[in-house]
Amino acid sequence: MRNIIVSLAIAMAALPAFAANSVKATVNGMVCAFCAQGIEKTIAKMDATKAVFVDLKSKVVLVEAKEGKTLDQKAIGAAIVDAGYDVVKMEASTTSVDEMKAAAKSAKK
Amino acid sequence: MRVAFRLLALASASLLSWAAHAAPMGFKESWMVMGDLSPNWREGFANYAFTAKDAVGPSLLYMRSDDKTKTRELAEVAYTRLLKRWNLPHAQANVWFVGGVGALRGNDFSGTRTMATPGIQVDYETTRFYASAFGRLYRAEGINHDYAAARVGFSFFEADYDEVQPWAVLEVRRMRGLSDMTEVTPMLRLIHNRYFVELGVNNSKQLRFNFMHTF
Repeated sequence: MRNIIVSLAIAMAALPAFAANSVKATVNGMVCAFCAQGIEKTIAKMDATKAVFVDLKSKVVLVEAKEGKTLDQKAIGAAIVDAGYDVVKMEASTTSVDEMKAAAKSAKK
Repeated sequence: MRVAFRLLALASASLLSWAAHAAPMGFKESWMVMGDLSPNWREGFANYAFTAKDAVGPSLLYMRSDDKTKTRELAEVAYTRLLKRWNLPHAQANVWFVGGVGALRGNDFSGTRTMATPGIQVDYETTRFYASAFGRLYRAEGINHDYAAARVGFSFFEADYDEVQPWAVLEVRRMRGLSDMTEVTPMLRLIHNRYFVELGVNNSKQLRFNFMHTF
């Protein structure tokens, strides 16, 4: 019984390792893909960034971290402001860029 | 020298009137190149955004009168400043200053004259609607080619960030001293996250081509 509990605890502790380590920013003013490219280009250059997704419809920028790296929320916020937009909310997320792209695609259908 | 000036004018001539078409500068620490090309108006400029609100760069403009008898070539350094921006949940509005100082040449006077070109652009945009107004003075000794333009457009559908979004845009513009007519140009605009192009035919049946690229 004790072995089962220990195994379960180990398995649960390992779960977050399989979830994406992302930052989700809700951004005001993001209405044009050509104008918003600065967000993607600047954040993609950051050392900890694995992928960036800009969703004009939901006004969300999702940044996924490389494995073992930590995203700098302050730097991401500053990059969005330098691109000309306002960040209204910034939160940690376990959604990956691929998952968000798939969700956006299925919502479109 | 004159050939070099013309080449320079052609290249950067495409850049100036771009200020009337969309955000006239890119994001911080980016370069933007722009062009607006038609038989009587060839404009180009490149600028570097040294802050999120300020950009500077060379600009070239070639203008020709409707009867093709009078021409102007302007080479200048232009400064762009975002004076005010409103970032709303589903829209963005801006007030821009665009102004330059440069050398003007014309086929009806000798030598060069110093020209100053201060202007203001206001614009409002959502993912489906765009409107802008642009006014700019083109002044040199004995010369007044003040310019005004207005644009309105709508997109056919809302697109994802990495999709091409087509727009229908109507531009009306007018300039003193070279043309007595108001130029009206319906255009097809294609926006992608890597490029911005417009193609249209004005009310004189002249082709117009505009582009923007940021890098």
